[in-house]
Amino acid sequence: MHTAYRESIHELIDGTIGNIRRAELERHLADCTDCRAWLADMEAIRDTAGSLDPLEPPDGVWLQIAGRLRQEGRVALPPARQPARVRHVALLAIAASLLLAVGAAIVMLLPQYRTNNAGPRAAAVGTPAPQPGNPGGDVAVESVEAEFRLAEQHYQNAIAKLEQAVKLDQAASGQNGNTLDAQTAAMLQKNLQVIDQAIAESRSGLRSDPLSAAALASLFDALRSKVALLQDTIALMNEMRKGNSAGAAQIVDGLNKS
Amino acid sequence: MALVERCRQGDLGAFEELYRAHAGKLFSVACRMLGNTADAEDLLQEIFLSAHRKLDGFRGEAALGTWLYRLATNHCLDYLRSRAARTDQLTDVLDDEPGYFTAGSPGLAEQTVTKMDLERALARLPEGCRAAFVLHDVQGLEHREVAQALGIAEGTSKSQVHKARHRLRALLSERH
Repeated sequence: MHTAYRESIHELIDGTIGNIRRAELERHLADCTDCRAWLADMEAIRDTAGSLDPLEPPDGVWLQIAGRLRQEGRVALPPARQPARVRHVALLAIAASLLLAVGAAIVMLLPQYRTNNAGPRAAAVGTPAPQPGNPGGDVAVESVEAEFRLAEQHYQNAIAKLEQAVKLDQAASGQNGNTLDAQTAAMLQKNLQVIDQAIAESRSGLRSDPLSAAALASLFDALRSKVALLQDTIALMNEMRKGNSAGAAQIVDGLNKS
Repeated sequence: MALVERCRQGDLGAFEELYRAHAGKLFSVACRMLGNTADAEDLLQEIFLSAHRKLDGFRGEAALGTWLYRLATNHCLDYLRSRAARTDQLTDVLDDEPGYFTAGSPGLAEQTVTKMDLERALARLPEGCRAAFVLHDVQGLEHREVAQALGIAEGTSKSQVHKARHRLRALLSERH
């Protein structure tokens, strides 16, 4: 190959050669087999390079970027999530109304329960206990306990309806190929197990001490956590179905922190 | 600039839009610069997190894509240098290797250049000319854009791409 024409050949390949040099190079190429072969090699390399397949990063890369931006507080939080599917709106509305009613009842009843339960225990530290012959304290305790049993039942109903919605979503997502990835599914399962364990332990505590305000508060905390987790699971599946990986990443990130 | 402005204001949806528009190109560059996808995935994260941090400094003198290419190639080159330092590899002298052009090689003759052959040969190129070649011949940038992306003169971009083609020809002709 004649080195004098090397740059001209590259410029010809790049499409940047001027008319005069192009004409000169073409005259040379007509007579020089080596330079023609060299030009063919350069063109083959450029053409093959230009045909290399574009590479796409896996989806997980964006999820991790979004998670880190959120963790570092560098992005605004999204507006409140709305379930997208109409056929679940009724279930979710029922669950929400139950929770509002139950939540309000618990807020009103828990201090009363603590006050009523303080009697026998407070006596041990010198506070007067309810007087014998005055049944008012026992009646109040039974009444409040009944309210709590009712409240717990409402929670259980809400949880059952949410679980039903989750199952429907999972079935629909499976049909559409939008299933949760194994890592997220395992994390949700683990969080559910932890919450169920907390519910079981709180119930066990209440069985051995039905008047324990701490066990009761713990039970309702765990029930609230379960409701929130189920709501997040539904929201996550909705975001995935919409193809909103940013929204899904934020929910997963929130679940990781919870 | 509207998209950049929304990103600056912390709009994650806007940043995802920016990511979707450019991630494939930058990932392709990173894979070919680093030679493996696992490192490229890690680096892609760092590139976009860095882009998010530095968006305030983006004034629009260059196209957003070129600005991102520059960020990506700088990350790749820094990574390669630190990897070379860890493994005691001497790579910084290769771009100016003497006898680069004068060394004779049999040429490709009638051999077909397959994509796989080219990918393998690419991984053996010196870093500087590999970056210029990937941006110019693979990604299709003009020399002016390659120069902006790598922070070099346009003439240097041309000479690096030309060196890369020479070297690739020699590497590909060694196949048989």
